[in-house]
Amino acid sequence: MKKKTRLDNVTAFTMLIPIVVLLTIFVVIPFIYALYVSFYDWSFYQDSEFVGWSNFSNVLSDPLFMMSIETGLKFALFVVPAQMILAFFFAHVIRGMGTKLSGFIKTSIYIPTIISGIIASIIFVFIYDYNAGLANVIVNMFGVENQAWLADAKTALGSIAIPAVWLGFGITSLIMLAGLLDIPESYYEAADLEGAGSWTKMVYITIPLMKNVVLYLLIVGFTGAIQQFELPLVMTGGGPLNETTTPNLYIFNHFRNDLLVGHSIASALLLFVVLGSISAIIFKVLNSEKAVDG
Amino acid sequence: MQVYRGKIVTSILAVVILLTLVLSGCGNGNTNAGNTGKTDNEGGTNSQAGNDNTGEKPAEKVTIEFWAQKFEDTTDAWFKKWTDEFNKTHDNIQVKLQIVPGDAWAQKLKAAQAAGKAPDLMTMSYSGIAPAAKIGQIKPLNDLMDPAVFDDLYENIKEFVTVGDQFYAYPKLVEPSAVLYYRKDLFEAAGLDPEKPPVTWTELIEYGKKLTQKGVFGLSTAQTAPDLGWSSWGLQYNAAGHLPVTDDWSKADVMNDGYKELLNYYKTLYQDGIIPKQQLAGYADATPFGEGKLAMTISGSWSIGLFRNDFKDMLDKIGVAPMPSIDGDPTKPTATLGGWTLVVDGKSKQPEAAAKYIEYLLAGDPGIMIDFFKTSQFSKFSPRKSVDEAMAQDPAASSDEWRRLIAEKVIPFAQAEPNYPWDISIAFATAIESAMKGEDVDKALAKAEKTINDFIAKQSLAGTNPK
Repeated sequence: MKKKTRLDNVTAFTMLIPIVVLLTIFVVIPFIYALYVSFYDWSFYQDSEFVGWSNFSNVLSDPLFMMSIETGLKFALFVVPAQMILAFFFAHVIRGMGTKLSGFIKTSIYIPTIISGIIASIIFVFIYDYNAGLANVIVNMFGVENQAWLADAKTALGSIAIPAVWLGFGITSLIMLAGLLDIPESYYEAADLEGAGSWTKMVYITIPLMKNVVLYLLIVGFTGAIQQFELPLVMTGGGPLNETTTPNLYIFNHFRNDLLVGHSIASALLLFVVLGSISAIIFKVLNSEKAVDG
Repeated sequence: MQVYRGKIVTSILAVVILLTLVLSGCGNGNTNAGNTGKTDNEGGTNSQAGNDNTGEKPAEKVTIEFWAQKFEDTTDAWFKKWTDEFNKTHDNIQVKLQIVPGDAWAQKLKAAQAAGKAPDLMTMSYSGIAPAAKIGQIKPLNDLMDPAVFDDLYENIKEFVTVGDQFYAYPKLVEPSAVLYYRKDLFEAAGLDPEKPPVTWTELIEYGKKLTQKGVFGLSTAQTAPDLGWSSWGLQYNAAGHLPVTDDWSKADVMNDGYKELLNYYKTLYQDGIIPKQQLAGYADATPFGEGKLAMTISGSWSIGLFRNDFKDMLDKIGVAPMPSIDGDPTKPTATLGGWTLVVDGKSKQPEAAAKYIEYLLAGDPGIMIDFFKTSQFSKFSPRKSVDEAMAQDPAASSDEWRRLIAEKVIPFAQAEPNYPWDISIAFATAIESAMKGEDVDKALAKAEKTINDFIAKQSLAGTNPK
């Protein structure tokens, strides 16, 4: 009996080797190396110089970095709830459909997911064009004059949130749908017998049993949205007045323009801390559990 | 079942190929990253290995990687044509030209530098030379090229490529960053004299108001911080007589009337709806003017090439004038002389061969450069005396009125681009943009002053101006 366990362990560890190796190469080593070089002033052409915490203190005292974190959070608050609510209702609608129709709908809402963010950005830049963009044509119909969607500090972030919702909404719906289909039909039947209405079923059965799916989507959605990069890069360049400079765009701009690379690395590590904390908070609040239905 | 198995095989294959690609990419990146952190020598061995691989066919032939930023199609074609010509006439040097789009340039180059695979030879704008020279990213050319070729340069342009007592680049062209283009037919329609373009900022604003109608904006100029960062340098000289830091880079210098007027000028243009609320295209791209959406536009001299190549039927309606000056004084600078050079990478293993190519292309037969200025429709200007002398013999060049106007009325008063870090330019440009969007001018300037001073302190910039 004991021998068998040991054999099992050997098999398990053997199977774990590839992922451990990959993680070491792609995550652990670069991470430790990044930590190491973040304490140096270095470029690709000069000898590095140890500077202690100064890269970190420079980043933390840079108002633009703080603003970019705030922008990232605001952006996530625009995108994630809208995406989740839309996806939840859409998943419900799809669940109620016939197989053929639902197959078609599933494919169509998945299309934005496979479109590159750059292409989406370019499409939306045309839509938001000041002179003849679709968005302005529509508001003109209601007698509103042309809006500077991407150049006005009030509308810029919202305007780039819309393509983000559009891009992420398909995959979110499908994951939600998978979660919905995972809830055993018998629960609803039992509830029907007890005379529960559809609202009660939603509140007491669907939502609690979707908790793990929601948790997953929230964390993926939040960390993804805060790290959004190509939409502001292509659509606004981070402007107007840095209103759409997300943390990754901030890091990218420093990487691109700075002669020394330490600042970019320090800010990337600080962003890592921010993202880690947000994920931890979401976990804490939602308290993940194993599914109860077994 | 058969189909199913086929699928499995394909997916396993795909995974294997993907893994190999990823792993091989990582292997390289990893070793190189390790090297860059250590000494230059180790990084050097690495790129040596790279070079050996690429140039292994004929024993002595050296291969030079050359990255040129993507410019107008005509410029790209010119680079290709003369690189082919060079390769044909030089048996032991092979130059491999790669055209890299401008928006991908910086990150592609950084990534290549990190991997120890930077090109031997690349294009660089004047403002990048001093900072790159300071950290050893580019090599001095004094010992690599015939000293005589530098004597051919105009004195002021010689300075653009000099850091300390060394030449770090060879210039290809200069082009003033600001010229006013206007539509003569729309001037007439608005009751303005098409032969008398505005000469002061007040007139420019007034004309802009008169020319704004439905579907046509009165004027277009830079209006986002990244565009304003460089395109406003000339106007800063115009209004304030200097740039936003003191010459020794020790502190910000923006709290004065000149800068206030500059911000007010941009603010009026934006707030009065003379320029569109959201720009139709970037400052460098005058396409909307060519398409008839604007009555006036401010852009660099390079736009002449665009109009002549792409908007031929608009040409007789277009007027060209120097960018108006704050008080109408035409001898005050309104533009900086931007332009492009070729530089040799600091870690290049073949600097002599790379320099030889520069000498052939930019400093050799004037005919090669004249060919370039012709294809760019005389919208750019030569840094070399001998090219100008040869061009004076060319009837097309000497009879070109726009060329003469810019050569006589803009270039003599234009200033060099600053060589301080871009952060300072963007901090000041943000002040302009925030004033345009409604911020109080004094507050905007105070904020820029603080940002610039903070930056100077953090980077210990005071006293480090290499010029």
